[in-house]
Amino acid sequence: MKKKGIFLLLGIWAAALLLSACGGAGKTGGVSLTVMGKKSDLAKSYMQKVFEHYEKETGNRLEIVSFEDDEYEQKAAEAIGNGKAPDIFLHFHNADLSRFDVAGNFMYLNDQPWAEDLTDSARAYCEDSEGNLLGLPFWESSVSGCYYNKTILDSLGLKPAATQAEFDMLCGVLADLGYTPICWPGDGCTWMMQFGLDPIFADDPDMLEKINRNEISYAEIPEVESMIRWIGGAADQGWFGQGYLDCGWSDIGPALSSGNAVMTFIWDTWFYTDFEGDGKYTVDDFALMPVFMGTVDGGTYEGGNLNMMMVNKNSERLDDALDFLAFCATPENYNTAFDGISTVSCFKGQTTNIQSRMVTDAKASIAEKERVSTAASRIVGYSADDVAGAVTDMLRGKTDAAGCVQAMDECRRKNAAMQGAEGFPGE
Amino acid sequence: MRTRFRKNFPIFLLIVVLAVVTAIGAGYFHLISQRIYEDSAGHLREIYGQVNRAFGAFVDRNWGLLDGWGEYLSLMEESGNEEEVSEYLTGKQAYWGFSDFYFLSKDRTGMTLEGNTEALDLGEETWETLCESGEPVMAGQKRSGGQDVTVFAAPVKPGIYKGVPYDAIAVAYTNEDLSRTLKVDAFSGKAKCFVIRKDGGVLLSTQSGGGVFENYLVYLKAASSLSDAQLQQIRDDLEKGDSGLARCRIGGVDQCVLYQPVGYQDFFLLSAVPLSAVSAGFLSVQKTTVNVLIVIFLLVGAAVAAVFALRSHNQFQKNRMELQYRERMFDVLSNSVDDIFIMLDAGRHNVDYISPNIERLLGIPVEEARQDIRVMEKCAVNYNVVIPKTELEAIPLNGNRYRECEYMHQNTGERRWYRMTVYHMEIQGMRKYIIVLSDRTLEQQMNQKLQEALNAAKSANEAKSNFLSNMSHDIRTPMNAIVGFSTLLEKDADQPEKVREYTRKITASGHHLLSLINDVLDMSKIESGKTSLNVDRFSLPELLEELSIILMPQARAKDQTFTIHVQGAPPEQLMGDKLRLNQILINLLSNAIKYTPEKGKIDFLVAELEQPAPQYVKLRFTVRDNGIGMSEEFQKHIFAPFSREISSVTNKIQGTGLGMAITKNLVDLMGGIIELKSKPGEGSEFTVELSFVLPEQEESEAWYRQKVTRMLVADDEKEICLDIQELMRGSGVEISFVTDGAAAVDAAVEAHRRGEDYHVILLDWKMPGMNGVEAARRIREQVQTGVPILVLTSYDWADIETEAREAGINAFMSKPFFVSTFWNTVKPLFLAQEEAKPASESGEEHAMDGKLFLVAEDNALNAEILTEMLLMEGAHCELAVNGREAVEMFERSAPGYYDMILMDVQMPEMNGYEATRTIRASSHPMARTIPIVAMTANTFAEDVRNAMDAGMDGHLAKPIDMDKVRELVGRLLKRNEAE
Repeated sequence: MKKKGIFLLLGIWAAALLLSACGGAGKTGGVSLTVMGKKSDLAKSYMQKVFEHYEKETGNRLEIVSFEDDEYEQKAAEAIGNGKAPDIFLHFHNADLSRFDVAGNFMYLNDQPWAEDLTDSARAYCEDSEGNLLGLPFWESSVSGCYYNKTILDSLGLKPAATQAEFDMLCGVLADLGYTPICWPGDGCTWMMQFGLDPIFADDPDMLEKINRNEISYAEIPEVESMIRWIGGAADQGWFGQGYLDCGWSDIGPALSSGNAVMTFIWDTWFYTDFEGDGKYTVDDFALMPVFMGTVDGGTYEGGNLNMMMVNKNSERLDDALDFLAFCATPENYNTAFDGISTVSCFKGQTTNIQSRMVTDAKASIAEKERVSTAASRIVGYSADDVAGAVTDMLRGKTDAAGCVQAMDECRRKNAAMQGAEGFPGE
Repeated sequence: MRTRFRKNFPIFLLIVVLAVVTAIGAGYFHLISQRIYEDSAGHLREIYGQVNRAFGAFVDRNWGLLDGWGEYLSLMEESGNEEEVSEYLTGKQAYWGFSDFYFLSKDRTGMTLEGNTEALDLGEETWETLCESGEPVMAGQKRSGGQDVTVFAAPVKPGIYKGVPYDAIAVAYTNEDLSRTLKVDAFSGKAKCFVIRKDGGVLLSTQSGGGVFENYLVYLKAASSLSDAQLQQIRDDLEKGDSGLARCRIGGVDQCVLYQPVGYQDFFLLSAVPLSAVSAGFLSVQKTTVNVLIVIFLLVGAAVAAVFALRSHNQFQKNRMELQYRERMFDVLSNSVDDIFIMLDAGRHNVDYISPNIERLLGIPVEEARQDIRVMEKCAVNYNVVIPKTELEAIPLNGNRYRECEYMHQNTGERRWYRMTVYHMEIQGMRKYIIVLSDRTLEQQMNQKLQEALNAAKSANEAKSNFLSNMSHDIRTPMNAIVGFSTLLEKDADQPEKVREYTRKITASGHHLLSLINDVLDMSKIESGKTSLNVDRFSLPELLEELSIILMPQARAKDQTFTIHVQGAPPEQLMGDKLRLNQILINLLSNAIKYTPEKGKIDFLVAELEQPAPQYVKLRFTVRDNGIGMSEEFQKHIFAPFSREISSVTNKIQGTGLGMAITKNLVDLMGGIIELKSKPGEGSEFTVELSFVLPEQEESEAWYRQKVTRMLVADDEKEICLDIQELMRGSGVEISFVTDGAAAVDAAVEAHRRGEDYHVILLDWKMPGMNGVEAARRIREQVQTGVPILVLTSYDWADIETEAREAGINAFMSKPFFVSTFWNTVKPLFLAQEEAKPASESGEEHAMDGKLFLVAEDNALNAEILTEMLLMEGAHCELAVNGREAVEMFERSAPGYYDMILMDVQMPEMNGYEATRTIRASSHPMARTIPIVAMTANTFAEDVRNAMDAGMDGHLAKPIDMDKVRELVGRLLKRNEAE
């Protein structure tokens, strides 16, 4: 009797299991897409949300292939090179894409219905130099510029600069009064140089083409040396303060928070993720003005760096992959994913994200002076570390401005050659 | 207190002077600065008054232009040609450089020439002034993109442009453009100039980048050193439209803030200029003045400092000189004494001073001692001479410690005794240890000498007792024999045999007694320091020959081998006291013979040592025997008087125990050394080293030498042959040598056959195979020439003399070979040949036979004894009782009447010396040649020298020893015959 009961229970459990499996398969249709990305990128909450939402709504499965951040470029390139390209490939739009044979492996997305919903800056970021839309920008974005302590400036009867001359005057006056005008973390200021370089190449696509074809060098572009000289001059005049070469990323927050430093070149979301200090000054005390680095008189803002979802044009599940992007680009879905996330909007219909006051207040100026992140993402062989290293060497007195520019050129060409870029012969 | 004030007065005075000068300088510079500031302020007002006027002209011009263009628009209004209006105004824009032209309406909007409408935030008050009051206005405006502009507006006749009504027109200049218009080139571009409203709001800046200033009053409040009252004053002035000037510090720079009303609305021209820029010229003068004054002060200060330094230097030099003088004086003083002075630093124990005599006294270089005082430990004999640090530090201040120390000179080994006293004292606040080493050497030496003297006295006393005891025994023994046998002689006078026996024993006892007395007297004289040397030329070969003659019989009597060796080629003629040297060597040699058993061996070696100086020669005389030897204990005091080793052997040998003491004293007297090596049962070796002066070379008579050019030498010892060859080098004699007798015969025969006979043949006596005598015989047999044949021998040839002469040997020579001996031996042979006379057959024993002596002797008994003795020798004598009589007798005598004079020394009327001088000085033909021999009891060296000085030829000691008389007389007579 007992045995019969046990067999009966096991039979019920097996039938339930089969029914459950059959029901799931019917709901998803059984499609499984591979998504390849950095482990940290894929861990973002909005990514997790949209992935779960997609699987739930479509019944399809997403097979996540992730690599450690520092291995990603290498392993992704190897996978794609070995014919194991994923259906969906996550990557920032920068020069490193050249190693992935974008034209051969990925689909241009200009004619996708969601393309019209992208903000201008987001779309511009995701296009290549020929206007081909390479991916769907599904990422948090920010505006990089010069964030300044408005409270301090107001107390001094000063206002933000509108020109390079005014910015220099502002730095000089602040320095005279004992402030560190610009917080410049010499040990790791890798992102700052691209702010100055962006307008040179963003405003002159032809220049960008020439440098990427190795027809011109930094040394032949006066604005590049102008920027380097401005940095050197600023350091010489004490605008970066004392001991700045030994400061790093973690020193920015305390410097701004204490009021020792008045300005820095950074992005708005930093204030919500990394700004820590003694609390004397908070994010409410800061405002945004353009970055002035000796390249353009009116200053510049840099639009956000966006992670794009690119589609493997050779995928057997190409339609499903495009459907996945369309799913993500649906206003309902992206508003669900970015609900409460501090970011500049990538979609015109984006409403649930949080936009910072600083960016909102400078909206008119941003509209006039924002450039797409160009130097870091478009210059072949550009390495923020190399440029920062060359600049730091100059600031340490190891070389002069011309030497710094020459070093930047040498690194860029070397990197480009290593990447096998056309026009850059290997050594 | 007063002294202290006096001492510090110059410093006090200097401080006062500096304070006064500083106060005057500060007052002066304050006055000058104030004056400069006032002048600069006036200068600043003047410059910015011009700027203000230029700005006013600019405003007026723009308003004037707007008025004109208003009229133009009014005219064009009627034509309605807006395109022409636009073109006209665009041309004006290009010409006047404004950035925008606006048609303004009362609804606070403006329209550009292109027809773009935008809201203009000129401020309500400005709008009212413009629109309601109908007055031209000036206002700031921020354009989209953040660029600041300044707007000049003027009411015009209402019209319509592009369908929009307007009531005023305006032009806008970017503030950057305006800043260039109003830029002040004065003050090296360091001035900031603003057009501000009365609330401090900045309309525009004349400086590029000045647009960052929003409100200059706020800026001043935050950034300047102005007090609230001063700021309020500025606000009040601005409110009232007054000008003003404030001086404050902004951003660490002294600045002048000047504000003047522009004259339009409530605008002010405000300038902030660094004081250094304003007063650059004045400050330059001030700086130059300051520099000049500083230079003057520095020069004056340097001069004063130089004077002080010079005085200080002079004082320092003076002090140093004084210190040096004192130190030098102290050095000299310390050098003249044997005390050593040291000063140590109490803290580090460094040497501050050390007297230089330390090098002289202890052999320690001064610098070495100065670097480390512990170097003195090397000289320590009894104590650690450097007092340990703990002990030093235990000495209380102003206290002292002392100890006795003994040191030894590092180089000479000389010992010195010191009392070391260490004083701990404070000198000018510095703790020092003064160490004084007081020399106690003399005191110590005196104590030692006293102790030694005491010991010596004890020893002398003991020796004296021993001496008396010995003497008592030694004198009584022969005296007893003499007295006893004399008694027996008287009793047995009729028995000739017994008489001869008794007299022989009496004579022997007398001789022993005499030698004992001689030694005692010698010793006494030496010890009393009355002994002196009689230095004269003497022949070393003769000396050795005499020694051989004297000692060989003694050795032969004990069947001993006595050999004389000469090493090298010592000079034959020496200057020295031959008698004393003889005495030394006879003492040593006779002792050797005496203490060597029968058949023993005695070697006498003469060697030349390294020449100490060109005119000196140093000889070593070694007497070596294989006799009984001496114990180590006895060797220690062998040279002490009356020392005799007590043993079963020595007890049987007669002696006074004075011989070696005399020998030692004589060697010392001659500046030599005597050393002894001996082992009991093995023998003894005495070594005497003496230096002699070399006499000047004499030209010797050498006629006969020309007759000797070839000589044959035969000796089985080749070295001897080579020595002879070497010694004869330069004499003109060719030496051939062979090493056995047969070869000598062959050589002589061969030479004869060649017709080259040898002129002299020298044969060793004892040679293996054929001895010298046999060789001579064979040579005589085969070579019938009269070639002189000599025998060279170390042995007494008396035994073979007869046989040798029969074999044809002409003469004998003792080894070693001396050149002078050779010639002296050869000379008579050649003389004999010359005179065709046979060689003398008379010996010394017959020398006195038939001779007549003049004897001067005041003592009748001595005269009788001498007369009898001479008679026994076959001689006769005539007696003189004193010197005068002797002189007279000689002078009366015929030449050759007397053969010799024997002269007593101590005689009445005329002593022997004077008599001799008189005889020598007399005109008698034999006055200078007749031998005169002293015959005296005065036997010391100076007695001999006095005799020689007086002109005597020899000296005989009383009592008369006939053997010596015979020997001396024979030698002198032979000399006279030879001459």
